[in-house]
Amino acid sequence: MNLQWSGQELVAAPKAVVWTFINDPDKISKCLPDLLEATIVDAHAFDAVVGVNVGPVRGKFKFKIALDPQPDLEHMKMKISGGGLGSVVDLLASAEIKDNGDGTTTLDWSGTASMRGPVATVGGRVIDKQAERVIGTTFANVKAHVALARAV
Amino acid sequence: MAIMTEAPERHSIGLSMKRKEDPRFIQGRGRYLDDIVIPHTLHLALVHSPYPHARIVKIDKTAALAMPGVKAVITGEDLVAANLGWIPTFHGYDKQMVLAVGKAVFQYQEVAGVIATSRELALDAAELVDVEYEPLDVVVDPFESRKDTTIIRDDRENKTNHIYHWEVGKRAETDAALAASEVHINEKMEFQRCHPAPLEPCGILADMDRGTGRLTMYLTSQAPHAHRTVVSLVTGIPEDKIRIVSPDIGGGFGNKVPVYPGYVVATAASVILGVPVKWVETRTENLTTSGFARDYHMNVEIGATKDGVLTALKVTTVADHGAFDAAADPTKYPAGMFGIVTGSYNFPLAFTELDAYFTNKAPGGVAYRCSFRVTEASYAIERGMDMLAQRLAMDPAELRLKNFVQKEQFPYASPLGFIYDSGDYKLTFEKALAKIGYADLRKEQAEKRARGEYMGIGISTFTEVVGAGPSKLFDIMGIKMFDSAEIRIHPTGSGIVRTGARHQGQGHETTWAQIVAEELGLDAQNILVEEGDTDTAPYGLGTYASRSTPVAGGAISLAARKIREKAKKIAAHLLEASEDDVEWNNYKFELSGVPGKSVTMQEVAFAAYTNPPPNTEPGLEAVFYYDPPNMTFPHGAYIAVVDVDAETGETKVRRFLAIDDCGTVINPMIVEGQIHGGLTEGFAIAFMQEIRFDEAGNHLQTNFTEYLVPTSLETPHWETDNTVTPSPHHPIGAKGVGESPNVGSPAAFVNAVVDALSPLGVKHIEMPMTRSKVWHAISDARK
Repeated sequence: MNLQWSGQELVAAPKAVVWTFINDPDKISKCLPDLLEATIVDAHAFDAVVGVNVGPVRGKFKFKIALDPQPDLEHMKMKISGGGLGSVVDLLASAEIKDNGDGTTTLDWSGTASMRGPVATVGGRVIDKQAERVIGTTFANVKAHVALARAV
Repeated sequence: MAIMTEAPERHSIGLSMKRKEDPRFIQGRGRYLDDIVIPHTLHLALVHSPYPHARIVKIDKTAALAMPGVKAVITGEDLVAANLGWIPTFHGYDKQMVLAVGKAVFQYQEVAGVIATSRELALDAAELVDVEYEPLDVVVDPFESRKDTTIIRDDRENKTNHIYHWEVGKRAETDAALAASEVHINEKMEFQRCHPAPLEPCGILADMDRGTGRLTMYLTSQAPHAHRTVVSLVTGIPEDKIRIVSPDIGGGFGNKVPVYPGYVVATAASVILGVPVKWVETRTENLTTSGFARDYHMNVEIGATKDGVLTALKVTTVADHGAFDAAADPTKYPAGMFGIVTGSYNFPLAFTELDAYFTNKAPGGVAYRCSFRVTEASYAIERGMDMLAQRLAMDPAELRLKNFVQKEQFPYASPLGFIYDSGDYKLTFEKALAKIGYADLRKEQAEKRARGEYMGIGISTFTEVVGAGPSKLFDIMGIKMFDSAEIRIHPTGSGIVRTGARHQGQGHETTWAQIVAEELGLDAQNILVEEGDTDTAPYGLGTYASRSTPVAGGAISLAARKIREKAKKIAAHLLEASEDDVEWNNYKFELSGVPGKSVTMQEVAFAAYTNPPPNTEPGLEAVFYYDPPNMTFPHGAYIAVVDVDAETGETKVRRFLAIDDCGTVINPMIVEGQIHGGLTEGFAIAFMQEIRFDEAGNHLQTNFTEYLVPTSLETPHWETDNTVTPSPHHPIGAKGVGESPNVGSPAAFVNAVVDALSPLGVKHIEMPMTRSKVWHAISDARK
């Protein structure tokens, strides 16, 4: 099962601030919804344990997350792979980071996922919206956390 | 001498005795596999592949083994080392992995087994088994599979996904007749992959007793003796050291015929560890890994004259067998009894061929309340007949009546090789037409059509072939498909009957007692029926494919007659007469010519133990192994009346009439119950059930929220009746009935929905006819 989503967030911070934030495994890990545990592996990678509750699939999924900043400093890719409870999930999230010239930055994000196992059974009915929520919330949290950091 | 003008009233056969087994079932006192508890039992949980096709790079057991309470983690390589990596499939033409070896070939395939002190611990530890996979290309469509772009079974010598080609009939003559026919239909139809989904999933409690050296396997088995022989052959454990006990079974429908990896791993673990090991499937494991049914993709060609006389039939099938050829068919019949596809009709010529392919899907091809592919065949011909009627603009009832095999033609040699034993198709169908008021229904339909309302009448006049079978033709792994009975009559006239069959809700504890009671003039209430323990039951091939009454039922009847023969000697002794002067009349032994001088079987039984004739072996018991001379051929006429809402695609089965002919009826109430169950399953298949996969090979029906089982809310009201044409070769004329309603009904439902929508130009709708599928068929037809 392959799924795709996209969305946009307007972040109240200059591009350089956003870029630094999303390149930081510690900071980005805290933006994952339902995060139970995060272990920073190196400057570009971390492991995460997240709670999952999708129909009959309830429990913990373990993911390996690799941040892949693009040399043009305008694109960020994030590869999330893992699973649990007999399911396998591969997510690829990417964001285009545009400087709006007014102290704000636009994050145009998109995500694709392929899923196998019980989680795929739940199919288009439930999983599509759930996965979109995970990615969407992650980028919404980026916006909120950056704004919060600026406010402090 | 009194002249008897009427047959004596039946003593037991033909009576609607309440089921002797029901008090314990309806009070929750049945003893199913998971109710059996032995101290110190360990529990098995299986690790399943999330990938439908993937190389196994590495299996790391460390974390699982480190968990307190975990006793062992077993992989496919471990089993290979123990020479248990692969086991033969039923007909012996293929083998299947127990746990994945080298690669996984279908999603949810068993990859490892974890043995722990509790089921919960085992399941938790299974999560910790770290399996590294390298995903491979996936093939879930048999039409893609046959291109051989991706080879699923590279362990086999021939690097192809093609498993076998099977054909029967006259190809050239049939092709020529079709080409010369005035009318010729050529239509595709699928019988979708579905699953028997018994309420109780499969399981085992394997108990290797190192004290006695015996292995006892409590097993959800429809065929305990066959399983014992397979276990012995595969493991080398002598058969006397193996005992299989099949306890109460919560539904089988063919699903509990195969040998599953959980059985083998639990047994191997018990043998190695010397303690009992239990494995009980989860619902998801049952739906994703155990034997599926159907998955036949058929092309049906029928030739006829323009006034509707059939000239030829050709059916070409692509069969999807999943990743192993584990179809539970007899050795010489890789496509089962599909040759029954000429149905109830007098085709002068016929030909059918089938090619089977591997796909990255679970293996199986079990019956699902069907005698070896008879349901697929019946669906093909009964849909085909309606398609032909639609083409001819002829009433489908008239087309059928015109082409039935006539009762004078029996025994009837079908063009595809069966000798139909008996039947009266016209009688059964005319009874159905009269009872449902067919002419009035057609009138009502015409009026509704004029008002723009859609009502359909669907007919299915099927012929089944059951009771495998004659040993010259039928075997499973070389074991001939006879069956057996052992009857012991106790001194006080009660008794026990044991058979090689194993019921799963069919009512054997009652019907077998009725047969014995009928043959011996005893009280069925006092005849105990015991099945399922290989230590005590005589050898038999088990219960599936509607074979119990045709085969084991025949054995019971003939064993009872052996007892009656001996009883006659004892009766003569008691009557102080010559055996030649003693007659079995009115369920007792009478001295001919001396009215009122008689002895009952109870008196004979007591004498057998207290006062046997001189030079006669005491006791009153017999064993009979029955090798049936032919199959039996139950038939039926089913009519469905369906209303369709053309705006929403909603269908409502307003009436459904089933007239069945299963020969002699032993217990009408049990037969009616069997028909209700089978019709409900047929309804589920027609409207609700399908095991689907997405393009990546994900199994999409892993639980009962996705794979639907009808409740009383959805299930239509069933009207039933019967006709009786006894089987001429069966000892009591019985034919078997459990599967007829599942075999005959799907086509009636589809024929009814298509008939309703035919004014819109709808020609066919594939099952399951969900609301969305019906709505799309209507929309497409309106374009």
